[in-house]
Amino acid sequence: MALIQARGLSKTFGNKAAVRGLSFDVVPGSVTGFLGPNGAGKSTTMRLMLGLDNGEGVTTYDGVAYRDLKQPLRHVGSVLDAKPFHPTRKAVNHLRMLAISNDIPTTRVTDVINIVGLGDVANAKPKTFSLGMGQRLGIATALLGDPGTLILDEPANGLDPQGVHWLRNMLKTLAAQGRSIFVSSHLLSEMALMADHLVVVGRGMLIASGKMSDFISTSARNAVVIRVDNPELMTRELRARNAAVVTEPDGKLAVTGMDSDAVGNLAHELGVRIFELSNRQATLEEAFLDATGASEEFRASMGFGAQQPGFGGPMAGPPPGYGAPPPGYGSSAGYGAPPGYGAPPGYGPTQGYGASAYQPPAQPDGGQPRADQPTYQDGDDNR
Amino acid sequence: MTGALKYEWVRIRTIASSYWMSGLAIGLSVGIALLIALFSSADDVAELNIGQFTSWVVTAGASFAGIPVLAAAFFATMGAMAMGHEYRYGTNKATLTALPDRVAVYVAKVVVLVSWVTAAVATILLLDLAVAWLFMRDPELSSEAVRPIINYWGYCVGFALAGLGLAAFFRNQTGAIVAVLVWPYVIEPILYVVLGTIGEASNAGIGKLTNLLPSSAGRRSIFDPYELAGFAGAFDVWGVGASTLVFWVGIAIVTAAGVASFITRDA
Repeated sequence: MALIQARGLSKTFGNKAAVRGLSFDVVPGSVTGFLGPNGAGKSTTMRLMLGLDNGEGVTTYDGVAYRDLKQPLRHVGSVLDAKPFHPTRKAVNHLRMLAISNDIPTTRVTDVINIVGLGDVANAKPKTFSLGMGQRLGIATALLGDPGTLILDEPANGLDPQGVHWLRNMLKTLAAQGRSIFVSSHLLSEMALMADHLVVVGRGMLIASGKMSDFISTSARNAVVIRVDNPELMTRELRARNAAVVTEPDGKLAVTGMDSDAVGNLAHELGVRIFELSNRQATLEEAFLDATGASEEFRASMGFGAQQPGFGGPMAGPPPGYGAPPPGYGSSAGYGAPPGYGAPPGYGPTQGYGASAYQPPAQPDGGQPRADQPTYQDGDDNR
Repeated sequence: MTGALKYEWVRIRTIASSYWMSGLAIGLSVGIALLIALFSSADDVAELNIGQFTSWVVTAGASFAGIPVLAAAFFATMGAMAMGHEYRYGTNKATLTALPDRVAVYVAKVVVLVSWVTAAVATILLLDLAVAWLFMRDPELSSEAVRPIINYWGYCVGFALAGLGLAAFFRNQTGAIVAVLVWPYVIEPILYVVLGTIGEASNAGIGKLTNLLPSSAGRRSIFDPYELAGFAGAFDVWGVGASTLVFWVGIAIVTAAGVASFITRDA
């Protein structure tokens, strides 16, 4: 149940800065997602947090640096690699080896290996394991000391859909118990379902840190969409009131800078007939792409030579009219640094968009772990 | 420190290579002892008395002639694997998150490795002793045999530590194994012969440099009688004590490099 405080984390490889002055908090009782493009410094940051890499800055767990923790597996569990074990050492022996180093009872080894669904292959050599099974063994390692904090680097990699579902529910349950969960993932849809808070980095620097709902609410892709019988008049009058208007291919107007009530009232005043009026909510992916568009370390070409109309995609930056976020949004300044995680003044959810907070879909099972956790059998497809 | 020792003890016992490496070292060493005991006798070797011949059998041929210390090659490989596995399979991150004190981790590897090798060498010596008593005529282990036997053990332990240190320094298992085998069994013998030949023929100063070759020095410290080790006459060959010291200084340098790398570099 530790508060993680990372302060001034920096790391350079030769002349290249991988992480630059990164500071953030991970609060107990939450799943905090760690997002960033490839090469943004996520894994390096996690290694710095665990004292594995030499760098600048300090990370504390309830005020104690990792290297000063007594029996650290009882405080912090971590998964940094997909298959961090010797291929011919039995899974159960791998866990026993780590358990004994921190005076963790061997009964706990049996517990965690069953929790992750590897009970049937506990005595198998991991060289026969699939990537997903390897991830499960890594997660078992992280859970070994029943720690109050988990730091997981891409734990869903290689997991099948059932495994991803299981992982999500488990992490949410562990967070609900008051633990601090810090997890990186490229699966934004999964992160949207799992995380309460976000730390977003790009090129080693902090882009955003805070509640996920606040992060999404700042996306320039949140808009009021309106379809009217006189779009020219409506556009002119909206712009006269400092709203940004984009005419979409189907003729609808996407309006930012005014809430739906104000847009509706304006149409009424102008005598414009409204056929459709709705709020468009950005997804986490859209908000992420907005926030990190300029921070990609490695950009892929689209393979079409000169950019063709209609092939914009995320690599081409935001669509016309969405380039510049509203003043005050889209930069790290827009997300106040911890502590507190509260939305800074001016960033509340009522910046003209009504209820702007992104609400992850409710879990059909209320976020509780499944009783029928998947197990692996010989011949399992995931082997 | 206790946690690190427990960890390392489980680590070395739960990996198959620990057993087949040790098994090969023991089996081949006993095989050599058996060959000597079965097909030769003290009467055949004019340079050796019966006590020295018995030592030759017990040390699996290492105390006389050019038979290499075969067991040391396997223990050196074990040492390289003790650290090399951490990098090859990425287990170093799991190890160091469980045990952040890197000095304790390295010391634990040294303690457990030395203990394991000591037990294996003791097994070799006891089995070789049994071979001598079973197959030699009138075997005799004199008090003078203590020195080659102790240095045989030291040579094996030293090579295990060299493997460990090289793997920590290179952070690469394959590189460490190649280095720890190629240097003493290929490069150093070539240097030894070239420098020694020059020393014998024309330049005694060059010949004296053979004294500084650590593996050769360690190898020489096992010889009984010591006078039969290496070149004689044309230039000074250092005594047993100095040769043993050169060997351990070499091991200490490799170990220091390994420890420094392990402690200071990123995991």
